[in-house]
Amino acid sequence: MTARANVKEVMKEYLLDLDQAAQDGRRKVAWCTSVGPAEILRAAGYEVFFPENHGALLGATRMSMDTIPVANAAGYSPDICSYLTSDVGAWMKGITPLTQAYGIKSVPKPDLLVYNTNQCKDVMHWFEFYARELKVPIYGVHSPNHLPEVTAAHEDAVVAQLKGLIALTEQLTGKRFDEEAFRQSLALSKQATDLWAEVLATARARPSPLSFFDATIYMGPIVVLRGTEVARDYYVAQLAELKAKIAAGEAAVPGETKRLYWDGMPVWGRLRSLSDLFKRNHTAVVASTYCNSWIFSDFDAADPLRTMARAYLKIFINRNDAYKERYIADTVREFGIDGVVFLEAKTCPNNSNSQYNLPARLRAKGVRSVVVNGDLCDLRCFSDEQAATVLEAFLETL
Amino acid sequence: MTTYWGVDCGSTEIKVVACDDAGRVLHRHRRRTLFPLIEHVRGALAGDGDFENPLVDGGARVAEGHFVTATGYGRGHLDFAQDKLTEIRAHYLGVRHQLGAELPPGQDYAIIDIGGQDSKVITVKTGDVDQFIINRKCAAGTGAFIEELAHRLRIELASLPELERRHDAELTLNSYCTVFAAQEVIKVLMEGQRVENLIHALYRSVVKRVLEMTVVTAPSVVFSGGVLTHHEPLRRMFGEKLPGKRFLLAPEAQFCGAIGAALHGLERARKQAAPPVHPSPSQEKHP
Ligand code: SF4
Repeated sequence: MTARANVKEVMKEYLLDLDQAAQDGRRKVAWCTSVGPAEILRAAGYEVFFPENHGALLGATRMSMDTIPVANAAGYSPDICSYLTSDVGAWMKGITPLTQAYGIKSVPKPDLLVYNTNQCKDVMHWFEFYARELKVPIYGVHSPNHLPEVTAAHEDAVVAQLKGLIALTEQLTGKRFDEEAFRQSLALSKQATDLWAEVLATARARPSPLSFFDATIYMGPIVVLRGTEVARDYYVAQLAELKAKIAAGEAAVPGETKRLYWDGMPVWGRLRSLSDLFKRNHTAVVASTYCNSWIFSDFDAADPLRTMARAYLKIFINRNDAYKERYIADTVREFGIDGVVFLEAKTCPNNSNSQYNLPARLRAKGVRSVVVNGDLCDLRCFSDEQAATVLEAFLETL
Repeated sequence: MTTYWGVDCGSTEIKVVACDDAGRVLHRHRRRTLFPLIEHVRGALAGDGDFENPLVDGGARVAEGHFVTATGYGRGHLDFAQDKLTEIRAHYLGVRHQLGAELPPGQDYAIIDIGGQDSKVITVKTGDVDQFIINRKCAAGTGAFIEELAHRLRIELASLPELERRHDAELTLNSYCTVFAAQEVIKVLMEGQRVENLIHALYRSVVKRVLEMTVVTAPSVVFSGGVLTHHEPLRRMFGEKLPGKRFLLAPEAQFCGAIGAALHGLERARKQAAPPVHPSPSQEKHP
């Protein structure tokens, strides 16, 4: 419990174990979308792999730039999700960043594919590719989308589909679904997500001990290890470390004078240079839509299916614009933020919130912002020079 | 007595100015942007030998009595520069300096700058930059778009304004994309259209691309940058599209950024000379 927070180690062990599971005939692997029903899969005895995490790794290592064109040439448009094209291209090319990082030859072969369209429909196309390619069963949770409020009717629709998933896992594993294991898994997820929320809240301190760029690394376990003790224990340690930093006055950005909110996806291949740019300008990015998206406060082990349905419906990306406007304005106030950066990702309109006049409406509420054009993985859509000019010019106005 | 230098490293031209400590422009020089950039900037600072070179030690550092501030896309690549700022702020400072008398601090205005690779609209409110917008990544709405199509049409850039004045029909170029627009041009030419009408359409499309980036609400508009200086039809068309506004062309429109950079250095020196009323937060933390 008190081990040093070592996210790299946690992620390494997770991936090495998955690799073993994939080669062990007795263990089963499921692939799941990042805000999909991972806790059900764990309770059903699956090890869970998240292709989006693989996409982010492809982006961060810039291997995407070799793999996206392969998917493009095969008929996956350059305009669709570049996680999808990075990952599918890597599959087609037979490469993975896991080899260089961990000595893992290939992504862990799945026994089941499960997606949730609460984030977008690209995940459906993405998982369908693998269902065809690997002839593996696929299950989609088709969520009601872009909700102003999440109602009981919306939840009912998802609960019914989650029950369908449970039935499918029973059929595939030949075992009765373990309700108790599910409660346990959701309880662990709840503990981890509450801790993750506290980790992110440390950035309210001035100076902040945490920046968005650190948080994109620290978020690994809450994405891929929900429902496990490992994730919970990691965040206990991470939180303690950050609190110690606050007590010591240690800043993520030395000499912090400005504080920003980052909306939209990270530019994975440019985390370092963007982080450096902000550091040079004594600016800390202290909150983000992206990292906050793994806060699932509604989880409750007493009513696991319904609260799981609720939490996965309530995510930011699945809400209407009025909600998003309120959410960003509130966060800006709570974290003492000077301005918002909207990353307009060319290949992910789902996670680009500047396109329907939100910046102007926030401005009317006194929230200043700037839009940077770019992408999560496709650096063909990103100009370092233009991004630097836009960001620095924005900082000059604050 | 210090000489304040501003270097504007644009994508097409390097512009250099030197100002005295009253902010008067003493010297200006421009040349094409070539690479390695730093060598050509050193060359631009040396000028034609008609003014003192601020660099010494083979261009490695700035001599005593000089202060060099960089702006433009290349601003981060000049290791001898003593300060830098973005072209957004530099253009604003340059415009404010040149047109201060016409645009008193209470007066809100917009600056439209069309450069080689980008175009921008800067909104100035209560005497400072309030908002700005830069075109998206493609060349449409920039000088590069005009250059590319002039090249396709095999027409000297300088003769475009004169040809435009002889247009007698309205055509429309729809595309955002320079390549698609070039295809549209070829198609229209094959259909037998007069080149004068095409040039008119080309200018109109540039104006449209700029105006669809933002709503210009300020009562006055200042034109800055080389493209708007050389292509009068663009200024005329902005006038038609934004009726009721007052238009001004910055007197040294091509040097606005460089002048702004020089003045930024001067402002910084003045601030440092004045005793601080309250220490700034950054000074508090970094004594
Ligand atoms: S939300 Fe965007 S980045 Fe994520 S899978 Fe969907 S399209 Fe891709």
